[in-house]
Amino acid sequence: KKFHKQFYKLLLGVSGTSMEKNITLGSAARIELSCKLDNKYSHLKSPQVTWKRGNETIGHISKTKNSWSIQLKILDNSNLGSYSCTLKGEEEISAVFNLQVPKIGGKEKPIVSYEGDTAVMICESLDYTPIAWTWYMTNGSEQIAINDSLLADKYAINRISANVTHLKILKLTKEDDGVYWCEAAFELGKSKGKLKLKVLSFMVPLKPFLAIVAEAVILVTIVFLYEIYSKKKEKHA
Amino acid sequence: MQAKDSNPPDGGYGWVVVVSAFMVMGLTAAVLKTFGLFFVEIQQHFDELASTTSWITSVTIAIFHLGAPVASSLCVRYTHRAVVITGGLLAFSGMALGFLGLNMVWMYATTGFLQGLGISFSWTPAISIVSHYFSKKRALANAIASAGECAFAFTFGPFFQWLISQYGWKGALLIIGGIQLNICVCGVLMRPLASSCLLQAGHSETETPLGNGASRIDKEDKSPITQKTFNWMLVRRPEFVLYAIFGLLAAMSFFVPPLFLVPLSYSLGIDESWTASLLSILAMVDFAGRLLCGWYANLHVTKTVHLLTMTITLISTSLMLLPLANNYLSLAIFTGFYGFFFGTTVAVHITVLADVVGMPDFDSALGLFMLIRSTGGFVGPPLAGLIVDMAGDYRAGFYMAGATLVLSAGFLVTLDQLQQRKERGIQTNTKPEKSMLPYSSLHLLKLQ
Repeated sequence: KKFHKQFYKLLLGVSGTSMEKNITLGSAARIELSCKLDNKYSHLKSPQVTWKRGNETIGHISKTKNSWSIQLKILDNSNLGSYSCTLKGEEEISAVFNLQVPKIGGKEKPIVSYEGDTAVMICESLDYTPIAWTWYMTNGSEQIAINDSLLADKYAINRISANVTHLKILKLTKEDDGVYWCEAAFELGKSKGKLKLKVLSFMVPLKPFLAIVAEAVILVTIVFLYEIYSKKKEKHA
Repeated sequence: MQAKDSNPPDGGYGWVVVVSAFMVMGLTAAVLKTFGLFFVEIQQHFDELASTTSWITSVTIAIFHLGAPVASSLCVRYTHRAVVITGGLLAFSGMALGFLGLNMVWMYATTGFLQGLGISFSWTPAISIVSHYFSKKRALANAIASAGECAFAFTFGPFFQWLISQYGWKGALLIIGGIQLNICVCGVLMRPLASSCLLQAGHSETETPLGNGASRIDKEDKSPITQKTFNWMLVRRPEFVLYAIFGLLAAMSFFVPPLFLVPLSYSLGIDESWTASLLSILAMVDFAGRLLCGWYANLHVTKTVHLLTMTITLISTSLMLLPLANNYLSLAIFTGFYGFFFGTTVAVHITVLADVVGMPDFDSALGLFMLIRSTGGFVGPPLAGLIVDMAGDYRAGFYMAGATLVLSAGFLVTLDQLQQRKERGIQTNTKPEKSMLPYSSLHLLKLQ
């Protein structure tokens, strides 16, 4: 397999604050991370920059005039994480690269549906194509995977396109109300999105509906009666 | 101004009718405008394509236009009130049955067909009866009534979204259906004018051609009985034809800017919430434009045809300038101008129709005018889409809309010239020709 190399750079400059960059990786890649020293430090004779991942120090650093770089081969989940370069001095100045799997957005607003009806929950991963999708429902604090071949008359999972998945829940009941998760499996790891389902009974919208209908009927009757009354007044006058 | 149904109230109960029409506008046109919020929900629920789902709105708009002449002829036979109440019941049933949401075809039949028919049967008579109730203050009355659409559209946006988040799209449809039942309440308030039916028969004979407005000489030849049913003779009248063509071209242009404003805004790098604020600005200035134009037209300082020509010219100028916008502020300003002049045009164009054809034929004219206008509305957006695709830029759509409006203004100017020529013709011919026309003896008798 041939990988294209990706280059990322951060500037070590402002003291006190730390610079951070989030890098999303959809699949295995070769990465070069470099930290460049800001011009205000060019007076330092022998600046010391170390690269770390967590607590481990990374050995092979290639140094050019004012920048320190490391070459990384990201092949699986264990290679992801936060890589930081630190300039040793009176104050420690560091920059952090966060290597992560693509995030799946869930929906903020709950999907509202009715008892006996069908609900469709949709998850998509726009920029990166997952290898597989899995759906989970929440039972208390546990997440249980949904097997649509086992419960074929209740659930149907369709992969509409490479980046979009649909979970169809048939014959909704109150128990189906709750939180659902869609999990996308990428080469380098998994990522989850949260969705909420609200199941209402027919009575819920029916009450305001009947109230409004009653209001309309009452108003029509009032206007109608008033008109008959005023016409009678005219006739007698 | 022309003389109309003898003694229209021009006030009094007429204002009740105006408020009632204001509400009907809101409960019909504003609901249609805001229906787009249901689009994604319905599409995802039935797992259909966007184009298939958009046919719902296409059906609604198509039935709305096709139903207009039917509604107007029913008005003449059965009174405006009855037709509005029928419309209210149809619209209510459309939305309420839509709640059952069985399948896509069901949605076409309910939220498409029934809703469209209901809106048509409510909107057309409501617009019409306001013109029947007023003569001198007609422009103001029409403007106030039409402003209902803007006022309601402004609040329905956030309201419908809240309904959908609380009750889901199905529950929201049910509740909106219930709200539309109030159209019937407004309908009951629209008392038929006792005068209009009785006196229309003798109307054409007693009419004296006045100084301004279209001449009535050509009307004298027709028998008064044509008032009862749909008046197809309208197509023989050049003024009506000119005005209808104006309507067609204007309609071609009117649907385009709202369609392309949002994509143009995104292409300039303006984000979602700021773009939504542009639409709110549009609704607000539209409202202001309608009211202001109604008030101004009411002063009778300018002839309504001239006023309409001016507003059309101003819209087309705004549309031609709009593509120059390159950031939010300039886009908002040009959108404001466009929305304002759009409001002024809408406020006055029905009054102009009444001035062009006169009140006895007004109902038939309104229905026919809406039908002819609708073809423009169907052709406009696809044509604009084609032009935008060819040019590769949304700005081209605005240029096209502006150009079409300039063309339509040409027809207005021709109409005005025709009317002025006829007036001059009457004024020079009045003395000698009066004795030669057949109705004159009857005319003299009636005056005594």
